[in-house]
Amino acid sequence: MIKIENLTKVFKKPIRQEGVLGMLKTLFSAKYEEIFAVNHINVDIADGEIVGYIGSNGAGKSTTIKMMCGILTPTEGKVLVDGVEPYKNRRKVASNIGVVFGQKTQLWWDIPLIESFKVLKEIYQISDADYKERMDFLCDTLGIRDFLSQAVRTLSLGQRMRADLAAAWLHNPKILFLDEPTIGLDVLVKERIRQAIKAMNAKYHTTVILTTHDMQDIEDLCSRIVIIENGGIIYDGALSTIKHRFGDLRTVTVSPKVDYTVDGLDTFDGKVSYEVQESNLLIKFNADDIAMEQVVDYAFHTLKSADLKVSEITIEDVVRSILQEQETK
Amino acid sequence: MIRYAKLYFTCIKRSIITRLEYKRDTFISIFNFFLTNVASILSIWMIMESIPSLNGWTMAEMGFLYGFSMMPVALDHIFTDDLWNVAYWKVRNGEMDRMFTKPVPVLFQVIAETFQLEGLGELIVGVVMLSVCGSMLNIVWSFGAVFVLIVATVFGAVVITSFKIIFASLAFKFKRSGQLLQVAYNFIGYTRYPINIYPKLIRGLLTFVFPFALIISYPVEIFLFQTYSPYLIAGVIVAASCALFAISLLIWRALERRYESTGS
Repeated sequence: MIKIENLTKVFKKPIRQEGVLGMLKTLFSAKYEEIFAVNHINVDIADGEIVGYIGSNGAGKSTTIKMMCGILTPTEGKVLVDGVEPYKNRRKVASNIGVVFGQKTQLWWDIPLIESFKVLKEIYQISDADYKERMDFLCDTLGIRDFLSQAVRTLSLGQRMRADLAAAWLHNPKILFLDEPTIGLDVLVKERIRQAIKAMNAKYHTTVILTTHDMQDIEDLCSRIVIIENGGIIYDGALSTIKHRFGDLRTVTVSPKVDYTVDGLDTFDGKVSYEVQESNLLIKFNADDIAMEQVVDYAFHTLKSADLKVSEITIEDVVRSILQEQETK
Repeated sequence: MIRYAKLYFTCIKRSIITRLEYKRDTFISIFNFFLTNVASILSIWMIMESIPSLNGWTMAEMGFLYGFSMMPVALDHIFTDDLWNVAYWKVRNGEMDRMFTKPVPVLFQVIAETFQLEGLGELIVGVVMLSVCGSMLNIVWSFGAVFVLIVATVFGAVVITSFKIIFASLAFKFKRSGQLLQVAYNFIGYTRYPINIYPKLIRGLLTFVFPFALIISYPVEIFLFQTYSPYLIAGVIVAASCALFAISLLIWRALERRYESTGS
């Protein structure tokens, strides 16, 4: 469905000096710094897959997605979406894709939601029968019926995100690009959005490419993840493989009531590592190597912590672990 | 073609619904445009009060010229106002993303984005000025004259739109081109006075570089002094506007590809 070959995007950034005088200097001496936002990547995505596209902020996720949608033109390499290069034949690709940018709405801000859908119906030339059938499907799965007549600006973030997803899917695209569709949402809305994405994928075989910072999104939806860091792909494969590769990593967050230095803490023969975050202490360990009980016991009794939080591995941890692994190689 | 006509009307309907969401704002805005025009007419009137005539032009003739210049400006204003937003902020803020992901030409979406009701007010001011000053001057509304008026209005608007497209598309390269567009657009203001009061350089600029004199000053002289053949002027206007429009589309297409969006 999507074939990415050697894809590269370079942004030219003028090298600026600080201050007004520096800004004036750059007006006359045009020196540019080349920034490789995406650096020679190769990915193949099959029909009907749900792929999690992961990386830290500024890793190049959005840039890749924008090239796949035809918003940006690659500096080098190519993208084939259903056999067509989006930046060369933008309109043809656009009718096959749906896009949600979590940070920006695609809807018209000032008019009732239903009016936005009517415009989209005309833009994508959706027949009356299809429109009706899909609206019913979307109203049921996303629960947007109640606020169809409200202006988009009056919607809550959760409502707006559901509306955006509905708008992106209305023309039944072959591919759905979701750039952080669950950002800033509460647990219930997140769950609803995940269910809807699953339903679309199951019923209409929609290929989904999803970026997120939420591990739960990925666990629920994606059979495959692609991790990008500094413009290059560092992992492409099943989620379960990568999770097990680094073991069952846990983080215990405590606030010790005793004076301590990180160096003075017991590392249990190097099985535990520590990190200070503001007034909290993060205790990181692999639950396969050391019993949770031992760590919790240490936190309560030796460190006299009154409270404690256990969290599982986050996407950031996975990325960090892969990078560390690559450095040591 | 039929598809785009239908789509255009849907978008226009959307734009009007948007304006009606904020009724007071829309009303104030229309009233504001009306006041602005009354103020400029008054200022011309005040100048004319203190001098007997401007290079041989009387108040009524000046009013006729003003009305004539409103026509293409109003038409362009009604249909293509979103180009200003493109030039000033839509490219810089990455607002164009949603247009780039739709299976319709981006420029079409920009044009279909707004239907500027204020422009209707300008059109009315123009028609009123033309008829009032026209009757004071005993203008003969012959077939040729009406033909020139229509051509100058419609194709004149195309000339103005072409300039807006060219300067707005520069935003894809420079991120922001509003001020540049403003400078080009301000040249239209010169045509509200008789062109023969200006030095040669400005006259040349207004005829060949920013050909607003071609669509306003010369056609008006047909009505007032029967200087030129109406059909010749109409022909030149049509040819110039089509050429300019074609050039503007080429420039837009070339620069559109440079759109960089924003980080998100």
